[in-house]
Order: sequence, then C-alpha cells, then structure tokens
Amino acid sequence: MPTETSMNPSSSKVISLSLDTWVLIVAVVLALAVRFGILDNVPW
Amino acid sequence: MVSTAALSPVKSDSALLNAVRLVPGVVLLAAIGYAGKFLERFLNTYAKAHHWTFPNIEYVLWAILIGLAIANTVGVPKLFQAGIATYEFWLKLGIVLLGARFVLADVLKLGGISLALVVIEITLSLALMTFLGRMFKLKPKLTSLLAIGSSICGVSAIIAAKGAIDADDEDSSFAIAAILALGALALFTFPAIAHGLHMNDVSYGLWAGLGVDNTAEATAAGALYSDAAGKVAVLAKTARNAMIGFVVLAYAIYWAGRGQAEAVTNKAAFLWKKFPKFVLGFLLMSLLVGFHAFNKAQIGSLGNLSKWAFLLTFAGVGLRTNLRDMSKQGLRPFIVGALGEILIACLTLGLVVGANRIWGL
Repeated sequence: MPTETSMNPSSSKVISLSLDTWVLIVAVVLALAVRFGILDNVPW
Repeated sequence: MVSTAALSPVKSDSALLNAVRLVPGVVLLAAIGYAGKFLERFLNTYAKAHHWTFPNIEYVLWAILIGLAIANTVGVPKLFQAGIATYEFWLKLGIVLLGARFVLADVLKLGGISLALVVIEITLSLALMTFLGRMFKLKPKLTSLLAIGSSICGVSAIIAAKGAIDADDEDSSFAIAAILALGALALFTFPAIAHGLHMNDVSYGLWAGLGVDNTAEATAAGALYSDAAGKVAVLAKTARNAMIGFVVLAYAIYWAGRGQAEAVTNKAAFLWKKFPKFVLGFLLMSLLVGFHAFNKAQIGSLGNLSKWAFLLTFAGVGLRTNLRDMSKQGLRPFIVGALGEILIACLTLGLVVGANRIWGL
C-alpha cells in the first residue's frame, strides 16, 4: 500500500501518487467546484 | 488496492493510456449502479400504480445483485477489469465527501463511542480468531491475516499486513477470499437480523460498522437498512480503519521477534505509512462544514456526490464477488472465518446493545 508521493525516477514529468492521495485531490476539486458554484445543486 | 497501480501512471505517454483503460470499467460500474437506481424507482412506481404489495428493494441491493449476476454468469471481460478495480477509489471518495453530512459534534460523539467499541471489538476479534486458527490448525501466518482482516478492515488490512509480516501469497489469497465471502453473506444477514430485532438506525449503523469487515460491504450493509444507518456505519468503520496501523505494527513486531519478518526500525513512520489518509479528508470535510464553509444547498450537493460515488462502489462489490473462485479457496479457512465472524457479529451486537443502554444511541 504505497502512501507516499514520489517523483518517478524514470520520468521527470510524471508524479506517481497513492490511491488515498488521488482520493484527497479529487475530493478537494469537487468540494471547491461545489463551493464556487461550478457544480450547483447536484441531483440524486 | 489494484486501483493504486491503475491510477499511478509510470510514464507520461502511458498515463493517458492508463486513464483510457479505466474508462470501460468505470462506465460499466456507472451503468450497473444507475440500473439499480432505476430499478428501485421503476418497480416502486409500477407496484404503486398497479396496487401491488412489493417490498421496497433499495438501489444498493439491485446494484450488488446485478453485479453478482454478471460476474458469476457471463463473467467480466478483461477490458473492464482495470476500471472495475477503481471501486475502492469511489468508496474512499464517497466516504470523504460524506464527511460533509456530519456535524463535527456528531463525529466527536459517535466517533468517540465508535472508537471505544472498536478497541474492545479489535481485542476480542484478535483473541477469538487466533484461538480458532490454532484450534483448526491453520498456518500461523494465515491465522494472523484472518485475525487482522476480521478485526479491522478486511482486504486493505490483509494487504497492509501481508508485507509487514512477510506472509506468502497463498495465505493472503485464502484470507482475502474468506473475508470477501463472509462480507457478501453479511450484506444479506445483517439487515435481516436488525429488522427482526427492530434496531434503530444509529444502533444498526454502529453494528454494521463494527461487525462487517470490508469497508465496501460495511457501507453497503448500512445503506441497505437506511440512509441514516449507512452514515453511521461509515463513521464506525472509518474509526475501525484508523486503527489499522497499530494492529499491523503489533503483528509486525511479533513476527519480527520470531525472526520471520523484517524488524520495524521507525515505529512512528510505520504507523503513518499504514494510516489510511482518506480518513483525514473525511474529518477535514466535517470540520469545514462546522466552520460554515458550505451553505445548506452545497452540503446537499456534496452529500449527493457522495451517493453517486457509493453507487459505483456497490456495483463494484457485486462485480468482484466471484463465487466460483471463492469456493476453490478451501474449506478450513472459510470455516474458521465463518465461525469467527458469527461470534464477532454476536459480540458486536452485544456491545452495541450495551452502548445503547449506557449512552442512549
């Protein structure tokens, strides 16, 4: 279960992230989108 | 944890390819989840229009059943597998966003009660599974994996422990299969028992969070009962998940002491490495709501986004449950797991009933 953010030595352009980091990034993006009205009244 | 690899591109040109590879499976998850939601609404409307008495079957169960039917009849083509493995990503994302539906005071109160019960549950589960493993003469490391899996958070805990105690692949496959099979059974038995006992939402949610091993199944078992029970189940399960580092560390030290695993040099770093970071996201979201960072409509939107994420998770729970593979894994680990789980379910039910009397849940 890799949990650290690390630069991949084989490529300086790509950052390899753990699943939990991806989850947190997407959650922050969604929360900001909701907060600033980009995602408005999400239906269920 | 397959999704970790799928979501961790190695080269820039393959990053896009990896992302594209996820699309068919994610679309399948969404389609099955939405079909479950559609079936729930359609059947209810149809039954009402024709004056039929038809039990309200939640979208959660439909999504799981459709996934189960596909996985165990036509099977899941390879094209879809990478995307289906993202069900854990959707599960964790759903949990983090669900944090917005909790007032911090509730998290502290229920989370505190959950933590107290979790400590008792973990101690009892570890002791019980170790005793059963010895009684049925299972390999010691398989017993350790089953004990860790049933006391904390199922598959993730087994995978986290596998490396730390240097267990072999066969043992971890056995333990994972047993935990998944028992989780699938719990999906149907827990809500039925709770309905029979007329449990309230909070008590049942706590029970599901404490008694069902895998996070996806615990979330589904809670949501099958009610929306409120689903929320509490996630909170209790999250409290349980947060303990993963301590238990795995204890086992790592135990096996290292016997010369059968690598010694742990930096315990604090080990704990941080094993700590499920998404739990911090859940707490942060709840904290932000406590500080009024979102208005009521925005909290509703975040809650609905969480439900959509769970919808994909529930479809994944059905799709990755292969009954044939599970039946091949051997009977003894399954019997030990099943016996342990039944006893743990009874013990946790007793704990929740006791907590209900003390704190009036």
